[in-house]
Amino acid sequence: MSEDNPQVTVTSERLQKVIQALSFASVDEFEQCLTLLQESDAQDEFRELETAFTIFVQELAEAKRQRERALSRAEAANRELEAKLETIEMQQAAIRELSTPIIEVWTGVLCLPVVGVVDSQRSAEMTETLLEMIVSKQARTAIVDITGIDVMDTKTADHFIKMARAVRLLGAECVISGINPGIAQTLTHIGVDLAGVRTMRNLRDALQFHLRETEQLAAHVKKDHF
Amino acid sequence: MTFERRDPSIIRVPPRVRTYAVTKREDAVVIAPQARRFAVQFGLGAKRSAEIAIVVSELATNIAKHGIRGEITLILDDDAPPRGELTVIAKDVGPPIRDLAMATTDHYDDRGPIDPSLILHRGGLGTGLGAVLRLSDRFEYKELEEGKEIRARFFR
Repeated sequence: MSEDNPQVTVTSERLQKVIQALSFASVDEFEQCLTLLQESDAQDEFRELETAFTIFVQELAEAKRQRERALSRAEAANRELEAKLETIEMQQAAIRELSTPIIEVWTGVLCLPVVGVVDSQRSAEMTETLLEMIVSKQARTAIVDITGIDVMDTKTADHFIKMARAVRLLGAECVISGINPGIAQTLTHIGVDLAGVRTMRNLRDALQFHLRETEQLAAHVKKDHF
Repeated sequence: MTFERRDPSIIRVPPRVRTYAVTKREDAVVIAPQARRFAVQFGLGAKRSAEIAIVVSELATNIAKHGIRGEITLILDDDAPPRGELTVIAKDVGPPIRDLAMATTDHYDDRGPIDPSLILHRGGLGTGLGAVLRLSDRFEYKELEEGKEIRARFFR
């Protein structure tokens, strides 16, 4: 060998160490890899290779750590998004429920407070839910309170009256309370037959009416008994 | 030298436009009260504003039911003659209305009369478009390249 191309002699032990360090690095065991590389205190050219390798492994370890952090951040964001979606779905279900809330205010007395905007589909949905509830709860009275409604389309108003008649067919009494002047005019204007539809000024009167009816019924039963 | 006089009253205010996407039945519940608020702000009476809310609700429900997906646009134009107008535009990508005259007839859809026993199952009375026709001042229907568009106009 010439002088321009000097040779470096390395003991087999050091070479083995580097190979072992490499194998540690390949399985992401950077800590152990770095300890192995730092053990040597030689001052030759091979040491330089070891140092370069050390730096490379350190950079790799750092990149890996950053990637993991980013991944966990993304995962957290994803979880948050899923939670939000779930909330939205729950709120939509709540809106659906709220559009036809039917409350059993007393045994056998159902109350359907109507608020907001009533369109044709909503009034059809209300009818369906109310009739089903009357059957399932064996209700004797249904109070439909429309205090919260200012304006209704003529056909929708007509449908409300039909709903009241359907309730009667099921053997229950239907009371519509809180009709405002505008809707009263709409109803008379379209000339619907209001026979058999009981209307009350407000929810309070409607409830009182039901209580009176129940008392009368109770008195009747008592008289028959004795 | 000629001097051109300018009447400040002819300066046009650009109309205000609001658009809401509609894909689900629930969207109607959210958009209708908004429309009512804008109508009141626009200077329409309480009864009229409530009627606009009903129209928006019917149109949005129709989009969710027949139109696959679409949008409701409200245009508040102060300068539309004679005293300004509010326009409700319902656009969707669904199939066109086969027979408009039939569809706007109460208790009919665009194929014919709705069997009363089916009202509960199909979730509607078949009076929605009729209500839009009754409550608005102008009703316009147009088929688009993809889908259709209904315009209901309300004069101030």
